Amino acid sequence: MPSSYRGGAGRVLALAGLSGLVAVTGVAFYGLIGFSGQVADPGTLQDPYFYGILGFSLKQAALSAGLSVLLGYPVARALYYLPGLWFRRTFLTLCLLCFVLPTLVLITGLVLLLGHSGRLAPLLGADWNLYGLKGILLAHVFLNLPFVVRALYLQLLHIPDTAWRLALQLGLPALTRWRLVEWPMVRGRLLVLGGFVFVLCFNSFAVVLALGGGPQATTLELAVYQALKYDFNLPEALTLAWVQFAIAGTLFVLLGRLGGSSWLVLEQGGDRVPVPGRWSRLGHGGVYLLCALFLLLPLLVLLPALADIPASLRLAPLLQALLNSFLLALACVIPATLLAWLLLWPQRLAQLQQRPRRRQLLEWLSTHTLAAPAMVLSVGWYVFVLPRLDLAQWGPVLVVLLNLVLTLPFALQQLRPRLLQFDAQYAPLCAGLKLAWPERLALEWRWLGGSLRAAFALVLLLAMGDVAVFALFGNEAWTTLPWLIYRYAATYRMQEAALASLLLLVVCGVLVWLLEQGRDGGA
Amino acid sequence: MNNAPALLNLAVLSLFAVLAAPLPAAELTVYTYDSFVSEWGPGPQLEKAFETQCACDLRFVGVEDGVSILNRLRIEGEQTRADVILGIDDGLLVETRATGLIAAHEVPLDGLSKTLDWQDADFLPVDYGYFAFVYDSSRIKAPVTSLKALVASDAKVIYEDPRTSTPGQGLMLWMKAVYGDQATAAWKQLAQHTVTVTKGWWEAYSMFLEGGADYVLSYSTSPAYHVVTESKDQYRAALFSEGHVAQVELAARLKTSQQPALAQQFLAFLVSPEAQAVIPVTNWMLPVIDAVTLPPVFSQLIEPARIGFTPEAVAGSRQDWIAEWRSAAVKD
Amino acid sequence: MGVLELDRVRIAREDWALEYDFQLESGAILTLQGRSGAGKTTLLLLVAGFEAPDSGDIRWQGHSLLPLPVAQRPVSMLFQDHNLFEHISVWRNLGLGMGRQRTRSWEQAVRDGAEALGIGTLLGRMPATLSGGQRQRVALLRTLLRPEPLVLLDEPFVGMDPQTHALAGEWVRARAKAGGKTVLLVTHHAQDRALGDRNRVLGV
Repeated sequence: MPSSYRGGAGRVLALAGLSGLVAVTGVAFYGLIGFSGQVADPGTLQDPYFYGILGFSLKQAALSAGLSVLLGYPVARALYYLPGLWFRRTFLTLCLLCFVLPTLVLITGLVLLLGHSGRLAPLLGADWNLYGLKGILLAHVFLNLPFVVRALYLQLLHIPDTAWRLALQLGLPALTRWRLVEWPMVRGRLLVLGGFVFVLCFNSFAVVLALGGGPQATTLELAVYQALKYDFNLPEALTLAWVQFAIAGTLFVLLGRLGGSSWLVLEQGGDRVPVPGRWSRLGHGGVYLLCALFLLLPLLVLLPALADIPASLRLAPLLQALLNSFLLALACVIPATLLAWLLLWPQRLAQLQQRPRRRQLLEWLSTHTLAAPAMVLSVGWYVFVLPRLDLAQWGPVLVVLLNLVLTLPFALQQLRPRLLQFDAQYAPLCAGLKLAWPERLALEWRWLGGSLRAAFALVLLLAMGDVAVFALFGNEAWTTLPWLIYRYAATYRMQEAALASLLLLVVCGVLVWLLEQGRDGGA
Repeated sequence: MNNAPALLNLAVLSLFAVLAAPLPAAELTVYTYDSFVSEWGPGPQLEKAFETQCACDLRFVGVEDGVSILNRLRIEGEQTRADVILGIDDGLLVETRATGLIAAHEVPLDGLSKTLDWQDADFLPVDYGYFAFVYDSSRIKAPVTSLKALVASDAKVIYEDPRTSTPGQGLMLWMKAVYGDQATAAWKQLAQHTVTVTKGWWEAYSMFLEGGADYVLSYSTSPAYHVVTESKDQYRAALFSEGHVAQVELAARLKTSQQPALAQQFLAFLVSPEAQAVIPVTNWMLPVIDAVTLPPVFSQLIEPARIGFTPEAVAGSRQDWIAEWRSAAVKD
Repeated sequence: MGVLELDRVRIAREDWALEYDFQLESGAILTLQGRSGAGKTTLLLLVAGFEAPDSGDIRWQGHSLLPLPVAQRPVSMLFQDHNLFEHISVWRNLGLGMGRQRTRSWEQAVRDGAEALGIGTLLGRMPATLSGGQRQRVALLRTLLRPEPLVLLDEPFVGMDPQTHALAGEWVRARAKAGGKTVLLVTHHAQDRALGDRNRVLGV
C-alpha cells in the first residue's frame, strides 16, 4: 500500500524535531572543533595506549552483553513458563528499577557486598578483587540483565496461543517445540538486545570510572573524559570521540537492519503456555530465585545505613535536593516523551509505505545520541555556551536539554514497538474511519498505556540519576540529590552520603512502583 | 496528555532563572571548587566575614574541582566573569599562568609560614597539606614508615588516578622524588597489591572507610576530621622517612576584573588570621600563617619534611610521568 | 451509466495480475464470489484506496477516485480482521470517526441496529470479551451506520451461526436500501447471493 498513507502536518513537526536533535549533537562537536581549531589529532591513533583502550572497551562490552543475554534468557523463560511465580510483578518492577538505578547507588551496594571487606568477602577467597574487569562486568550485568529479562519476557508473551495449541496438539517433544515455536520468536530479539547492551557498555562511563581501577581498565568514553578535562587536549578527545561514535554508530546501523522485523509482532498471546514438568519447574524456580537474589542483595546491603543516622544530618537540604532532582527530571520527561512520539511519526509512515531504508535512517538519527559520546555532548555544549550565556541563569535549561537528548532514545525504544504494532493492526481502520487528529491521538495514547508509563519511568529516573551533566552546568543554588551525595562524600560525610543514596534508591523505587501500577501483563 | 505538568515546568524553570539572577551593588565573583562553597566548606563563613568588611556582594561560583576552574578560564578567556579564582593547586600553577589572565596579587608574603617558603608574585597560597597514606590504627599496629617499605609490602592500597585527581598526581611526584629513574619498577611493584585506582579522592577514601584497604592515599590532615567531627581517633597518617609531597591551594586575581581593588582586598583577607582560622576546620587543610589557634588535634598531626618539585618542573615532565605510570601501573 | 465504474482497472504484482471492468448503479448491492486468490479483497482495497492500480480508472459519480487518499473517499469498509480497537469499549469503537455527526438520532440508530443484530446488551463491553460473530456484528453496525454512500464488506458474516447469519444478512440489505447505499459484498456463502441485486463470480 505504498501511496495510501500520507504524513500531513505531523511529519513536518517531526522533521523539525529531528533536525533539532541532530543540531544538538552538531553544536557539541562544533563547540569543540571551533575552540580547538582542529577536527582531530591523527597522532592519537599511533599511540599503542589507544589500542589498549579500544581493545578493552570492546572486550568488556562484548562480555557484558554476552553475559546479560545468556543469563537473562533463562530468567525470562522462567517468568514466562511459570506464570504463578511469587512476586512476579514485583520482580518485573525491580528489573526496571535496576536498569535505571543511579550508578552511584549501585557501586556503593556492590562495594558493601563484594568489596575487600564486604559482607560476602569471606566467601570469595583471598584473591578476590572487585575492581577491574570483574567488577565492571558485575555492575554491567546488574544494570543490563534486568532490561534483557523484561524485553525477552515481553517477546515471549507475543507467542500466539494458537502456536502452542498446535504444537501440543501435534505432540511435539519439548526440544522441537522450543525450536519451532519459541526460538524463532526470541532469536532476532536476542541479537538486538545483545547489540543494544553492547553499545550501552561500550559507551559506559560511570561504572568504569568507579570500578575500572587504573590504566588497564579504561574505556574510550573515559579516555575522552580524561583528555577533555585533565589534559584539556581537545583534538585528542575529538579523535577518540570520532572513533567511539563510528564504532557504536555502525553497530547501530547493523542492529537496525537485523532487528527491524522483530518489532512487527502482531498477536498478543498469553496464558496458554505449556505446563512444564516437575524438574523443569524446579529449574525455572531456581533460576528465578538466583536472579532475584543477585538483584536484591546489592540493594538490601544499603539498609544498615539507617541504623546509624549521624546527629549532624539535616533533612531540609536533602529534601530540597530531592525536589530539585525531581523537578528537573520532570521538566525533561514530558518533552522527551512527546518528542519521542513525534519523532516516531515519520518512522511509522516509512514503515507503512514499505520504505525500510528510510525508516532505518530515521530510526538511526532519532536514537543517535545513544551512540554519540555523552561526554562530548555535554562538554561540547559547555564550551559552546560558556562565552555566550550566563550559566547561572541558563544552567537548568541546559541540564534539562542535555538530559532530554540523552534519555530520548530510551523513550523511543519503549514507544516504538507498540506504535508499530498499532499501525500493523489498525492503520487501515484508522484511515477508513477518517479519524480526526484529536481522536486519533487519544486512541494512541490509550493504546500505549503501559509502554507510555515505562517510557516515562525510564526517562524520569535516568534524568534523576544524572551527575555528569549537572557537574558541568549545575550550581549550588539548585543542587540535585545525586550531586549532594558527591558533595557529602567530598567533605568526609560518608554516612550522610550513604543515607542520601538510600533515600535516592527508595524514591526511585517508589516512582517505578507507582508507574508500574495498573499496567497490564506486567511487562 | 494534559498541560498542567508542562506549565509547571515552565514555572519552575523561570523560577530558577529568577533565583539565580544577579543582584545589584559592587559584586566580586570568585570561581572555586564545589565543596569549598558547600554549607560545610569554608565558603559560607568566609563570605559572611568578608562582606561585613567590604560592603560588597561576594559571589562564589562553584565548579566541579580545581582543574575545572582552569578549564573554565581557558574556555571563557578574556570574557570571563571571574574576578578571583580560588582553589587551583600548585600543580596547575604554570598552566594557569599560561592563560595570560592572571594579575599580580600585591599581597605581602612575609606573614606566611616559613615552612611554605612561598615567593610567587601572581599566586597566593590559601592553605596546604601533605599527601599521606592514612590507615586504621585499630587494625594496623605497626604501620610502614617509608614509601619504599609500603611499595615493597603486600598491604592493600587504594590510590587515586594521577590523571584525574590531585592526590594521585601528588603520589606520582612522590614516587618520582623517591625513586627517580626506578619509578617504573616501583609502580609495577605497587600495582601488585593495589586494590584499585579511583578517579577521585572521595571514592578512594570512602572505600577505605568501608574497610576496602589497609592504606589509602589522602592528606596528613585527614585524621583531624575524624577527631573533631566524629570523635574517632583510630585513623592516622603514616609518617614516611623520605619526606612528603605537599599540595598548596592557591588564589589569584584576574587581569580582566572590573574590581581590581576589591579583588586584592579579598586576597589579603584570605591570608588574614580570621580567614585562616576558618579554613583548617572546614577544608581540612593546614593554615598558611603561623598565628592561628586550632583544635588541639592539629598539633598531633604528623609534621613531615617536604620534598617534591617546583611547579615548573612538574609542568615540564607531567606528560612523560603520566605515560610512564600508564604503562607501568598494570598488574601482571 | 453506473455510479461506480471500474474502467479497465489492472493491477499486477510479481506473480499475479488482475483486471476489473464493470459498472454498478446507485443503491445496488453487488455480491462477489470466487475462490481464494481470485482478487475479491484486492478489488475492495482498490476502491477504498489501500491499493493503487497500475492502469485504468475507478470513478464514483463520474469523478476519478484515484487522486484521493483513503480518508477522502466516500467509502465505509469492513475489513477481514482488526475492525475493532481492542483497548476501548464497543460503544467507543462505534462512535469513532463520527465527529459532529454523533447526534441523538445517530445514537438511537446505533441502539436500534444493535438491538436488531442481537448485540444490544454488549455495547459497554471490551471487544476481547466478545465472540467472533459478535465482533463481526459490531463492525457491521458501524460500517453501515457511517455516512459514506459506498459500503465495502469483506466476508462480513464470518463466525456467525446460520441463524445469526441470516438475521445479519437481512439487516444489511434492509439498512443499505433504507440508506440508499451502494454495496460491494465479498462472501464465500452461496446463500448470500440472495442479498445481492447483482452477483458476480470472479476469476472464472
